[in-house]
Amino acid sequence: SVQAHKEEDNPQKTMEVNGLTPVPDSYDYDLIVIGGGSGGLAAAKEAAKYGKKVMVLDFVTPTPQGSSWGLGGTCVNVGCIPKKLMHQAALLGQALQDSRKFGWEFTEEVKHNWMTMTESVQNYIGSLNWGYRVALRDTKVTYENAYGEFVGPHTIKATNKKGIEKLYTAERFIIATGERPRYLSIPGDKEYCISSDDLFSLPYCPGKTLVVGASYVALECAGFLAGLGLDVTVMVRSILLRGFDQDMANKIGEYMKEHGINFIRQFVPIKIEQVEEGTPGILKITAKSTTGDQVMEGEYNTVLLAIGRDPCTRKIGLDKVGVRINEKTGKIPVNDEEQTNVPYIYAIGDILQDKLELTPVAIQAGRLLVRRLYAGATTKCDYVNVPTTVFTPLEYGACGYSEETAVEKFGEENIEVYHSHFWPLEWTVPSRDNNKCYAKIICNIQDNERVIGFHVLGPHAGEVTQGFAAAIKCGLTKEQLDNTIGIHPVCAEV
Amino acid sequence: MGWVELQVRGYPEFMRTAQSYHGRPIFVLFCGDKDAEGKSWCPDCVTAEPIVRKELHNLPDESVFIYCLVGDRPYWKDPNNEFKKNLKLTGVPTLLKYGTPQKLVEEECFKAELVRMLFTED
Repeated sequence: SVQAHKEEDNPQKTMEVNGLTPVPDSYDYDLIVIGGGSGGLAAAKEAAKYGKKVMVLDFVTPTPQGSSWGLGGTCVNVGCIPKKLMHQAALLGQALQDSRKFGWEFTEEVKHNWMTMTESVQNYIGSLNWGYRVALRDTKVTYENAYGEFVGPHTIKATNKKGIEKLYTAERFIIATGERPRYLSIPGDKEYCISSDDLFSLPYCPGKTLVVGASYVALECAGFLAGLGLDVTVMVRSILLRGFDQDMANKIGEYMKEHGINFIRQFVPIKIEQVEEGTPGILKITAKSTTGDQVMEGEYNTVLLAIGRDPCTRKIGLDKVGVRINEKTGKIPVNDEEQTNVPYIYAIGDILQDKLELTPVAIQAGRLLVRRLYAGATTKCDYVNVPTTVFTPLEYGACGYSEETAVEKFGEENIEVYHSHFWPLEWTVPSRDNNKCYAKIICNIQDNERVIGFHVLGPHAGEVTQGFAAAIKCGLTKEQLDNTIGIHPVCAEV
Repeated sequence: MGWVELQVRGYPEFMRTAQSYHGRPIFVLFCGDKDAEGKSWCPDCVTAEPIVRKELHNLPDESVFIYCLVGDRPYWKDPNNEFKKNLKLTGVPTLLKYGTPQKLVEEECFKAELVRMLFTED
């Protein structure tokens, strides 16, 4: 394996980068994974299966508010898992309201207890953190709760929370450091605002909340907070859900507005001040219009920033080993085998340039990469037609092209869009909206009316979308879809 | 100060004991009852106990180790027994750090490495 390493490396390049640090000729580990999230853990466990000596370094730099968490990465701790659980909490609130129409009688008013929900969610997350540690220990993967950064070729420095530094070497590295929420760079943002990193473990109910941003994180959080009975406002700079089908994005926004979430459009915050301390306290936000000189002010108990996430690639010593990053975004460009410009260093997950930021994508990429490295496999990760779901109050599932992108790529005359509104049976009795749920498919006329985009807005959108994603991967055409008899009565039959 | 071991039997005695040591790290090994010859009806418990006992010297200072006999086999098999209902136990043996989600269940208790990790790491 030492021989293979020498062939892969470019000794010339190594000396350019750091002439003083010697390249070790035997390594502590076969593989070091920096980042113990969805991608990192999947890759590490897979490599251990092939008998490789693997180390995982995971470290969470606390948020400005002091929040931190255990092994597992964003998804498990401050992303998909707590988000979906809190979304479920909000849905259950709605279900309680609906239940009266189905004959359930209860005289007490229904209230929500933030602490009860948060404790249950955090307990579950704790069991996942523990489960990952057991899994790593059981598969003999070395795990260190330490911050990893490159200091020279094949060499990494790991600093634990007590400041103790250790050096490790490996034949190969996988960078899977993920992202963290972006701040606004305005007065008061770090002192007073929270982000999704803080929300899911907040030790007090956030109260009247302003959500800044129009990302899916912003809309999902605004959605469940409102569903739990809180007064929620969303401040949007321009459009909702950039990158998603805009027709669907607007429908989501409309639904949220009609269900009590306030929107302030075309404004950006310029200052956050504290009016009163407390848990929660009272914050005053000053915002400026993006279309004129108008300035507005508002008071809220909590301001949640959800304006984007930045890759954790700028402080891990990539310059010491010559790994190129996109200076503007911090993302790492890789080839279709997840390899960076340095042959023995790979990258997976949210930090990749031009790839979807989703847990299952990172997991798949990590596993396939490791199989190619150590098990002689050749399969590369297929990033096309990856299904996703946005868990806003009205859920949105999608797979494939948005309408705009399909028009751009194939030309308006070459695509056909089939769409319909539907009224879920479960919504009829409690008299819920009858014209909000919606589904559309986008077909490529020139290719047998192949389905190239699938979009559905309605309950259980994620469950509905998963099956269609498999069909699209098999080359589903409109005719095949028409010939598939529906299940009745379910939303998916539309 | 070192660590201390207590042996209890049944749910009420377990709860009283755990509550009386509130504030100290509490580790609990739940096993099936033992017969007159000291042999448990639960074969996995018979395997796990010596392995767990061998790691006890790793317990942090001030810890409490509770060895808890849950009851006889019919009691354990009843899905509504208090251990299953209130502590959410799913099997015996179970080794856990009380008040945290950290636990090892059944064959996990056979692995000295994992037992050591439970006792020594945060």
